[in-house]
Amino acid sequence: MSTDLNPLLQQFILEARDLLEQAGRSLLALEREPGGAEPMNALFRAVHTLKGTSGLFDILPLTRVVHAAEDLLDAVQGGRLTLLAETADVLLDALDQVGVWIDGLAEAGVLPAAAEAASGKWVDRLRAPLANADSAGAPASVAAVAAGLPAWIAVLSPAEQRSCAAMSGEDAGPLLAISYAPDAHCFFRGEDPLALTRQIDGLRLLRVEPVTPWPELDVLDPFVCNLRLHAIVAAPAAELEHLFRYVRDQIEMHPLPDGWPSDKPAADVALPDDVAALLEVLSGQQRLLEASAPDAMWEGRLGSVARVLRGALHHAGHDALAPGLESAVAAATVSGEPAPLLAYIAAQRIAALAAPAARPAHGAVTPPAQREPATPAAAEMRVAAPTTLRVEQAKIDAMMNLIGELVVAKNALAYLARRAEDGSLGVRELAREIKDRQALVNRIAEEMQTAVMAVRMLPVEHVFQRFPRLVRDIARRLGKQVELEIEGGETEADKNVIAALADPLIHMVRNSLDHGIETPEARRGAGKPPHGTIRLQALQDNDNVIIRVSDDGSGIDPDIVRRKAVEKGLLDAERAAALPDEEAIMLVFAPGFSTASAVSDLSGRGVGMDVVRSGVEKSGGRVALTSRKGAGTTVELTLPLSMAVSRIMTVACGERLFGVPMGLVVETVRVPRSALHSLRDREAFVLRDSVVPVVRLARLLDLPDEEDAADEQAILVVRLNGERLGIVVSAFREGMEVIVKPMDGILAGLRGFAGTTLLGDGRVLLILDLRELAL
Amino acid sequence: MRALVVDDATTVRMFHRGILEEAGFVVEEAMNGIEGLERALAGEVPPDLLVVDVNMPRMDGYAFLRAVRVEPALCDVPAMLISTERARMDADRAFAAGANLFLVKPVRPEALARFALFMTGAARECAR
Repeated sequence: MSTDLNPLLQQFILEARDLLEQAGRSLLALEREPGGAEPMNALFRAVHTLKGTSGLFDILPLTRVVHAAEDLLDAVQGGRLTLLAETADVLLDALDQVGVWIDGLAEAGVLPAAAEAASGKWVDRLRAPLANADSAGAPASVAAVAAGLPAWIAVLSPAEQRSCAAMSGEDAGPLLAISYAPDAHCFFRGEDPLALTRQIDGLRLLRVEPVTPWPELDVLDPFVCNLRLHAIVAAPAAELEHLFRYVRDQIEMHPLPDGWPSDKPAADVALPDDVAALLEVLSGQQRLLEASAPDAMWEGRLGSVARVLRGALHHAGHDALAPGLESAVAAATVSGEPAPLLAYIAAQRIAALAAPAARPAHGAVTPPAQREPATPAAAEMRVAAPTTLRVEQAKIDAMMNLIGELVVAKNALAYLARRAEDGSLGVRELAREIKDRQALVNRIAEEMQTAVMAVRMLPVEHVFQRFPRLVRDIARRLGKQVELEIEGGETEADKNVIAALADPLIHMVRNSLDHGIETPEARRGAGKPPHGTIRLQALQDNDNVIIRVSDDGSGIDPDIVRRKAVEKGLLDAERAAALPDEEAIMLVFAPGFSTASAVSDLSGRGVGMDVVRSGVEKSGGRVALTSRKGAGTTVELTLPLSMAVSRIMTVACGERLFGVPMGLVVETVRVPRSALHSLRDREAFVLRDSVVPVVRLARLLDLPDEEDAADEQAILVVRLNGERLGIVVSAFREGMEVIVKPMDGILAGLRGFAGTTLLGDGRVLLILDLRELAL
Repeated sequence: MRALVVDDATTVRMFHRGILEEAGFVVEEAMNGIEGLERALAGEVPPDLLVVDVNMPRMDGYAFLRAVRVEPALCDVPAMLISTERARMDADRAFAAGANLFLVKPVRPEALARFALFMTGAARECAR
């Protein structure tokens, strides 16, 4: 096979050969066992799949032949035609021919030139038995029309459409829709797109629109062509080809179907344009709601329609319409009838048709506020925003009680203020009273916080419950015997933490199944019981939830890890040999490392433990790994109980204060200036027998490097991606619990900051994103 | 945003994967309905979008979608069903099975990406 084919085409060639072989085999089996349902299904599926797949490539002659073969088989399957020996012969011959073309495709990357001419003959041969069998059906003709109309045509006003069509009656030439997207720099090549288009003989309609919305005048670059031209013409395609021969790649032509414009509903037009896509999506939801389906599916149908509509509105930039949607969804939920939603959809379709131009598409221009927020927590919030939480009644009651207390405490303040006003209290007494009240409000605020957090808490069980099935199925496929033990499923963690846990956990369990637990024979050989055990544990430890996945499998062999790491070029042999065993096995977390010699179907495509680690660290957690060769492996994830409130440590850099997530902080040390050594262009110091690289916060932030006179340097030691790093700051300040707000609006794109929080004195504290800053 | 592509043809899966990844989705694959359910249920967070072929061995696209719509953990996940021709006939079955969108192969890359973005509400840059 020629190697410069694109990978998709290479894959197609492999698959096509398989499918042809399968089809051939099934045909032969059918001859031996006429009417056999099994081979018939296999044959039909093979041809069907081949046709569907071939449509992805520019090999129309081949697709046409396979399509004809499929129609023939469809008639056989539908009982309209009997598969006679001669029909089977034609099929076999046709498939052989397709095989030859595939070979040609593999050689040259294009179909042999003869294919185009031969294709029609094969189609006729394949259709011959059909023509005799049923003269009524002509199923194939539909496909040609499915190509669809360009989007801009769909938004032409009916009057415009009619005006083109009325004229077309006179000279009966077929109408063509042309879209001309001139290159942005076309003016510099002396091209004049408008003049060129106007030269078309038989121009019926010309529309010119900006590719991107016109910018403000003072930033408009008049030398850049920001135009797209659409035209409907009654002219022979060959003439147009000639006229546009120098810009052929910028032209799209679509023949308009006979009888255009028709009163076809917009939904029938498969258009890759934003308005058309919105219409199509809306009409899809309408059809879904109108279709009859079992009651059991109602909730799912309604739910999915609501989600899709929310998505479509959001993507089309119509968030303002969302409240109407929500009330329609609510009405449909209450009544158990789709009518309110159908009415809403109908209104949206009219709105979308009426004002197509005013609509910015997300794909083109994204306002800054829509960009991915800088922090993972913020990203979670965005994703989680529209979802609903089911909350226990008791949790809501607890919050109601606290609100009651808060109201009382508030009234007490008014009373206190009155007493202060009428002078019946001395300053000292007043201060004491205020402190008392403050203590009360403080307690309520803390309890409120806890109560609100509790609402977001879900038992880990939510993730764990998927695993028994998963483990059973995978173990069976691997021919292993595995018992899954689950402990601590009732441990609660924040909803976002639970969500962040799912993927790493699946990966870890799959690793245990794949590489940890041995086959029953191997286990017997090692003197272990034939069935292995995987244990999933969850427990709470202060502000963290700990998830442990342990197995009693073969463990990780540090020597194999060392060898692999060296082979992968992660480090050199000398350094690898010098690593203690427990550090060597940590190499499995290194990006690009995967211990499986063959990437197994189950552990996915070569993603390894580094994905687990980065996923967990993104949520502010840590991963630890212990393993004993022959005895098993334990991976432990430590995740913050909640992502909403974070503990941070404040540090000073010159006059300024910054926050650092406490989860990253390993320790704080003060060392004499002389203890900092320069290693090439970086600094480092020795901390308990190991060398820790050092960077200066002022330099990371590009702040003026304050005078280094201080003899003692304050170093914040943090752990980033498993490595320790020292950060020189001016001073350490207190640790605190804060609610981190993601950067908003224009600041959302600012790198290096995870968010902001308000300090007690009203100042805004910037929380540093050290991963972004230091790496 | 995560999308699950359920199709028995490897080429089609590759094709759809390429388009969806380009649009910013994280893509998972399954070879048929049974595997699709398994995959979709394997994570605590179900996929944000299902891209489903009609004709597959073991469990076809209709059966898969019907199963999805009654599975509490998955029932509201947006789904597009992609068939080859005979669009009109298949479309009714598709929507009755709970598809949110019905497309006919070959789907043009930009159309697939656009629909995927519309159905999930992802902005192109956001998804990345």
